[in-house]
Amino acid sequence: MLNQFEKRLRRFFEKSSPHFSKGGRFFKFHPLFEALETIFFTPAIPARCPPFVRDGIDLKRFMSIVLLALMPPLFFGIYNTGYHSLLSAGNNLNFFDIIISGLLTVMPLIIVSYGAGFFWEILFSVIRKHPISEGFLVTGLLFPMTLPPTVPLWQVAVGISFGVVIGKEVFGGTGRNIFNPALTARAFLFFAYPAKMSGDRVWVAFSDTASNAINAVSGATPLAMTTLFPSFKTIESMLHNAGFTLFKLFMGNYPGSIGGTSAMCCLIGALILIITGVASYRIILGGVAGLLITSFLLGMVSTTPLNPWADINPLYHLVVGGFAFGIVYMATDPVSAPGTNTSKWFYGFFIGMLTVVIRVFNPAYPEGVMMAILFMNLFAPLFDFIEIRFRVSKRIPNV
Amino acid sequence: MKTVKIKKGWQFKIVGKPSPRIENRPAMTHVAFVLDKIPFVKPRLLVQVGNKVKIGSVLFEDKKHPVLKFLSPGCGTIKDITYGPRRVLHEIVIALDSDETFEIFEKVTELALDQIKRRFLIDSLMAGGMWPFVRQLPFRQIANPDSLPNAVWVSLGSADPFQPNAHVYLNHQVDFFEFGIRALHRLVNTVHICRYDETPGKNNFAASSVTHRIIGNYPASDPGVVLYHSKKKASENQDWYIDGQDVIHLGKFLKTGTYPIDRIVAFSDGSFANSCHLSTRMGILLKDLASPSIIAPHKRWVVGGVLSGYTSTRDAFLDPYQTSVMIIDESNKSELFGFVRPGLKKISNSRTVLSALSSAPLPINTDMHGEERPCINCGYCAAVCPVDIMPQFTYKCIYADEIEEALAYGLLDCVECGLCSFVCPSKIEMSDFLIKAKHRYHKEINQVVESV
Repeated sequence: MLNQFEKRLRRFFEKSSPHFSKGGRFFKFHPLFEALETIFFTPAIPARCPPFVRDGIDLKRFMSIVLLALMPPLFFGIYNTGYHSLLSAGNNLNFFDIIISGLLTVMPLIIVSYGAGFFWEILFSVIRKHPISEGFLVTGLLFPMTLPPTVPLWQVAVGISFGVVIGKEVFGGTGRNIFNPALTARAFLFFAYPAKMSGDRVWVAFSDTASNAINAVSGATPLAMTTLFPSFKTIESMLHNAGFTLFKLFMGNYPGSIGGTSAMCCLIGALILIITGVASYRIILGGVAGLLITSFLLGMVSTTPLNPWADINPLYHLVVGGFAFGIVYMATDPVSAPGTNTSKWFYGFFIGMLTVVIRVFNPAYPEGVMMAILFMNLFAPLFDFIEIRFRVSKRIPNV
Repeated sequence: MKTVKIKKGWQFKIVGKPSPRIENRPAMTHVAFVLDKIPFVKPRLLVQVGNKVKIGSVLFEDKKHPVLKFLSPGCGTIKDITYGPRRVLHEIVIALDSDETFEIFEKVTELALDQIKRRFLIDSLMAGGMWPFVRQLPFRQIANPDSLPNAVWVSLGSADPFQPNAHVYLNHQVDFFEFGIRALHRLVNTVHICRYDETPGKNNFAASSVTHRIIGNYPASDPGVVLYHSKKKASENQDWYIDGQDVIHLGKFLKTGTYPIDRIVAFSDGSFANSCHLSTRMGILLKDLASPSIIAPHKRWVVGGVLSGYTSTRDAFLDPYQTSVMIIDESNKSELFGFVRPGLKKISNSRTVLSALSSAPLPINTDMHGEERPCINCGYCAAVCPVDIMPQFTYKCIYADEIEEALAYGLLDCVECGLCSFVCPSKIEMSDFLIKAKHRYHKEINQVVESV
């Protein structure tokens, strides 16, 4: 069966290859053809210079591992979106309906994100005559997972276009971008269309007219909620009253962005990335340490209820909002992170620290991790510069 | 004895490690001197096609230092002199006589060796064709006899299991080895003898004279790596080095007064039955090394190790420096959904393949396992680089023509091991790029020296 399929596929590519190679009718679209062919067949390219044996890893495998690690939050996100959609609509909650409802909400976002993004990728590859890079497979999935499920599809297209073109291609394409393209896209939407990206009414996809009867609280994320009720003594008690125990926040069964609610799924993803060595454990652990230490220190010096987020149990910071998703999948993007080892610790640490600082001192702006990562992306080359200077000064010169 | 441990690098996981068994492979009809792998030498030919030569007759000399001679590895008639691209001399092929005779050089007795003048010893090694085996870091050129280095590094054994095993080539040769070491002591004050420890505990050769015990991953045994991890000051960068097997030849040359042409070559074709050590001679035709039954098409002949060697053909000859020959499968078939396969048989330094779970050796081929892509700064190369030069940044410096910056990052410490290219998921020819930059730099500074 598979052999038959393989044979037919081989024949198909062999037949169409002349049209796309030099002198063929569609030579312009060679990058597209090449991308398509190499998805099916890893080409046999012999090594021309030493070493004559090469590692079995390539960028396709590298990015596939990231996609694999994204699966737990994606599946949970689909379930969670469907669950809250049905819950708010007052429908009965059987598993099958939940999944269908979730798929109907989430899949269009992903399809539009991939579609619009690939359009730009292909356009730039054809004009620049370079192969289509695998990095977008990750960007195109990361971006919709950071969005609220109610975001209009045209905004997804606009956002990913901004992310790919301004976030990546204007710098020269994959490997040369300063910012994480998926986060650039999200930041653009966040500031261009704040009404659709924040507040309390965007986090649950209403599926029918019963939505009018829903009160605002059921649709608010725990983070957004903390800005709504300053009357509570502590955020902990308030979250507790709303039913958000630490465990529930960890599991992630609450309204929020599609992929970002479940710290547990992000933890599974983090384990996959760290065990395979695809993402840097230094960044992830550094980020967690930065978050916990900063929030602990702020808790020591703060006075209630001036800064309600300051004296919360540090673990809440870890599980609330998009921090887990951001530090595991966004901050570890190797292109926009520093490339030296000690810098990675600092880079992660500062992301965690800034996330807490933004949450504590800017209550109107509860989700800090996006800005923290983008801000540290900007500093990544500086971190590298300093560490390389330091290392070079330790070397015995050889000129 | 000092212990040098190299943590970075890569542990070989390739099938077909040559067994310690020795088989004889005499030359059939021809041997040759391969010139184009002699580093930075401009040859002036002293023979013509048709000339008669003995083993140890002068074939050519270096135009820049005419005292530096290169000698014939065979006795017979010069059959052919071939040129490569740009008329660079490639090979001098010698059709062997049935009865081979040696040129006779002056013998050095044990007693005389301790009295001998350094200059006199250097001159006799140069005239005797042995000097090219003493080489100098960081460019790995033939050692400059006018310089006085801090030390000479002798490497015994290799972290690359496809190089000859020191136990094998030292067998019955310890006398010559120790004589060679004594000769080196006359050249340089300090002689470091670095033994790579494959099987810790075994310590049955030249035990008294070993100064450094090397443990760790490939390329731990490379003199450049050992030097990097033990140097204290910048003047040590120009230290000399010599391979353990060449020290034996050095001793043999001085003791017997003949040009030593016998070589122990590690041979592997990936199978257990055929991979072993071969007792053969300098400049052997590669075809003569393998029995005809295992010479198959679609195979790649790699000389000098799979990570840092070069591609050759079965009709080429072994160059004077190399003692390792491998035959590996040529890549020939594209793989359906290669990137999502679990990779039980895929060789990788990363943990993205299932074979990472076991240390069982795996078969190899010459496939790139992917296409070239932009650098994504994953840092895999920096994680394996044995001399900490952060190849991804150094390579970008060279790309931007910032050679000073690249030198500050340690470009000249590069030991040309090839690991950065090996691990790169973007399939960038990183080591090739760094080595070429090094050679360009060498050319540049030498031009400056010559013009002054």
